[in-house]
Amino acid sequence: MSSSALLSLGTRAMFANYAALQTTGNNIANVNTAGYSRQSVELETAGGQFTGAGFFGKGVNVTTVARAHDELLTREAAGSQAMASADEARSTQLQQLEKVFATGEAGIGYAAGQFLNAFVDVASRPTDASARQVVLARAADLASRFRSAGEQIDAIQAGVTSDLKASIDTVNSLAQRVAALNNQIAALAGSGHQPNDLLDQRDQLISQISQYVQVSTIPADDGSMSVFMGGGQSLVLGNNAVTLAAVADPFDPGVVHLGVTDASGDHAFPDDLMTGGSIAGLLRFQKTDLPDARNLLGQMASALAGEVNLQQSLGLDLGQPAGFGAAIFNVGLPGVMPASGNAKDASGNDVASYVNGSGDRVPSVSLTIADPTELQASDYTLRNSPSVAGSYELTRTSDGLVRTVASGAIVDGFRVDVVAPLPAAGDRFLLRPVGDAVRNMQRVLDDPKGIAAASPVTATIDASNTGTATVADLHAVSNTLNPDLTATITFTDDVGGYSYTLVDTTGALATTSGTGTWQAGQPISLNGWEMALNGVPKTNDTLTVEKTAYPAINNGNARALVDLRDVRMVGQQTLANGTIVPGATITDAYANALSDVGVRVQSAGTAAQMSAAVAADAESARSSKAGVNLDEEAARLIQFQQSYQAAAKMLQVAQSIFDTLLQVTGH
Amino acid sequence: MTRISTAHAFDSTLDRLVQRQSELSDAQQQLSSGKRVNRASDDPTAAARAERALASVSRADATKRAVDTSQTLMTQTEGALGDAGELLQQAREALVAAGNASYGDAERKGLAQQLSGIRAQLLSVANRGDGTNGYLFGGQGSNQPPFVDAPGGVQFQGVGGQAQAAGNEALPITLDGNATWLTAPTGNGVFETSAVTSTGSAWIDTGGVSNPSAITGSTYSVVFGVTAGSTTYSILKDGVATAQTNVAYASGKAITVDGMSFTISGAPAVGDTYQIAPSTPTLSVFDALDKAIADLSTPSLNSGQLAQHNSENLRNVDAAMSRLQSARSDVGATLERIDGVTDRLDAQKLQGQTERSNAEDLDMVQAISDFQNKQSGYDAALKSYSMVQRLSLFQYLNT
Repeated sequence: MSSSALLSLGTRAMFANYAALQTTGNNIANVNTAGYSRQSVELETAGGQFTGAGFFGKGVNVTTVARAHDELLTREAAGSQAMASADEARSTQLQQLEKVFATGEAGIGYAAGQFLNAFVDVASRPTDASARQVVLARAADLASRFRSAGEQIDAIQAGVTSDLKASIDTVNSLAQRVAALNNQIAALAGSGHQPNDLLDQRDQLISQISQYVQVSTIPADDGSMSVFMGGGQSLVLGNNAVTLAAVADPFDPGVVHLGVTDASGDHAFPDDLMTGGSIAGLLRFQKTDLPDARNLLGQMASALAGEVNLQQSLGLDLGQPAGFGAAIFNVGLPGVMPASGNAKDASGNDVASYVNGSGDRVPSVSLTIADPTELQASDYTLRNSPSVAGSYELTRTSDGLVRTVASGAIVDGFRVDVVAPLPAAGDRFLLRPVGDAVRNMQRVLDDPKGIAAASPVTATIDASNTGTATVADLHAVSNTLNPDLTATITFTDDVGGYSYTLVDTTGALATTSGTGTWQAGQPISLNGWEMALNGVPKTNDTLTVEKTAYPAINNGNARALVDLRDVRMVGQQTLANGTIVPGATITDAYANALSDVGVRVQSAGTAAQMSAAVAADAESARSSKAGVNLDEEAARLIQFQQSYQAAAKMLQVAQSIFDTLLQVTGH
Repeated sequence: MTRISTAHAFDSTLDRLVQRQSELSDAQQQLSSGKRVNRASDDPTAAARAERALASVSRADATKRAVDTSQTLMTQTEGALGDAGELLQQAREALVAAGNASYGDAERKGLAQQLSGIRAQLLSVANRGDGTNGYLFGGQGSNQPPFVDAPGGVQFQGVGGQAQAAGNEALPITLDGNATWLTAPTGNGVFETSAVTSTGSAWIDTGGVSNPSAITGSTYSVVFGVTAGSTTYSILKDGVATAQTNVAYASGKAITVDGMSFTISGAPAVGDTYQIAPSTPTLSVFDALDKAIADLSTPSLNSGQLAQHNSENLRNVDAAMSRLQSARSDVGATLERIDGVTDRLDAQKLQGQTERSNAEDLDMVQAISDFQNKQSGYDAALKSYSMVQRLSLFQYLNT
């Protein structure tokens, strides 16, 4: 029993309480620090001293400063944050994409409808120059709306590419810092205490990485934490960080994917293995939503331009002399993009390519549009067929349909031609029949006289006919129509049998003749035109179809152009068993595309809301365990302050005891 | 017991405030634009419906324009046909006057000149333009006046048939000039009587159908001769003698053969031949008037020839008039149909507009109430934030 025991008790108590006060003060100071885990001092008794009268405690020891940290909750918070970031990234990009498809009078569908409606006035007064000017003005408006939509999509793609590059750079720098921290923590592993602040920093960095790339962590024995991305790819191993890189898409250099850099160069990381993080969201948007939007627009533009140009070529314009109409629209040509990994020859050019007539090097695979109404809104990939020699395997990207085609086959409205030099065994090509259509879509007809309002042939009914047949409609259907051929159709019986002669007015071709049977509702087709009749013809009734004498005032082709409003020109499909799935009219096709994008945006928005709510819950759970509550710290301040005061009082008492002792022993 | 960390409490309250603020601004945007659907994602199916309704509205507008054009042109055509009818009525009156037995060659010459004037006016009506470069009776096209005065008579230089305005309705914008002006039926519509050789003073009238089922469509000739001292006639069918051979002739008495009945009056000479041929749709209004003018200008005709000419010319002018009249009533029927089409288009446009409004417009009352809800919710959030976050233990520690 000595006063020194009391002194040492008091000193120890004061030190312990001071440590607790200091830690509480640290907590208060870091209340707003992101990722900070609440620290607390762990106390233990300093053991007991054996004396004859019993064990006397020796005071309090500070064992360590521990942080309130739950590994599971932290991992949950980081993981759900990754999902929320992925959904949020995709939703934001989709909202940008939605602006391309405007509704109402600002939209492309309205402009297309107005363009076709303008032909009504040309049909009413074919010689009126102002009606034709209106058509051309509306055509220019339509082309510019398509073109600017294409430009917006290109801008969105460029934005996605730069976002991806920036995110990859950020992840790289974060990973470097994690590696450095791993190093520091490992060095301090032998000290016996947890380096709380370093651990908090590392957890915070990993949580930040999760926003970009979903990661999983595995702790090692030396205290370092290894970080892995999806599919087992390591990001940080001990104190080494793997460098991520933006790898160009094998087909399209403007598009990037996530890749990993190692000693042998950059390797692309498969998109499907990315499960979370904003990079995954961006990649998913880039792979599905953006090409779909581009192809939907391109499909509509190709179909409309193709049908309008075709109908123009079947009619006569106001030129002197009247000629077949020229094209009104120019759309971007279908594109073929060879993979960057295709076989190359000695000078670095693709083996499957050649120099064409204009001196450009082009791939051996080329596309031409055969039937614009059958074009689908999809890209395709082509490679040598593994099963059928000499044929190619064509995969439709939108639904994965695989077909084997030979060179020159027409499929989905376009023709694939493969010329020598043939592709090598592993070569792949990306075919975009409609993807580039809206880029540079232009109106190429500027002269109002160039609108082909007149039909090349006119039908007349002989006045002496006794039947009730009249011509309901006569229009050209193919370019093979020869306007110099006059067709005379004479009905030979009362039930529609007829005989016809085709006489060439220039005398260049011999007269052809033949017979046929007309049925109500079915048109008569000859010489590239089709004629529909109303009423019923009788024996010896005669119809004549001859070259239009006055093309300036004929409106047959203008009426056919107006009828394009009802032609189902977009996306007709012929299935394998021969059934034809009809397409949509141009205004319906736009309405469908609009609602398609709208549904995507809506569902992405809902997904983002839900995953954000989950992430908020997880974060709330984590911070309820690890966060600082100021009221709690304030209470603890009071608690430890009182303890400190009590300990200090203990010292005071020890001192007065000593003084008393001195007084007693001294004189 | 759940702990709440201070930083997290502030963060989550802030999140909620921001969310409420953005909802408030969305509601404000809806109110100011008046539309529930500003973007496709607000309601994709409604956006698609609105898009389709808009297409149908603009289509109805365009079709309306075509209908208006057709209506204007058909009204002009109907007016032109009315004018033509009046002119022919004047011609008819002149011809009736020409039947006055007391008129001499000079008076008839005067009438012929009157008819010439009427003919010229009729030609200009037939060539009437439609205000732009077209012609009302141009058929399927002619870029110059469709009727030209050629040496052989007036010819139609356009293309027969009717031009139509665009759209699914049959909305004519021209009339077939050939069919209207140049194809009246000759004769009385079934058969045409004419004098092939008439040296006597007899004349044959227009005739009529007594038995429609007995009409054969052959060409008949009535040849006059003298048999046993009295004038007789023989009827030949397609040059072959029929049962009516050497029948006694009585002036003014009806002769009936094969369902056709006609009267020859006056005193025919031997060898006079009258022909009855089937009617063909080849009578031109102008030819009829030309023939009348030529007949009236011929001097020194006997009474029989005068009567013959009069009968034929009146018959021809009547046929031409009824042809034009029926064309006019066709046009009238078309105009009535156009009225019906216009009504239907108006209803279609209204329906489209209603559909569009239903799909994308805002229910103002509900929207305002929602907006006020959100506003007060935001207000409450702000107030509660300011009150709760002021509470802290540090305020009560004064040591």
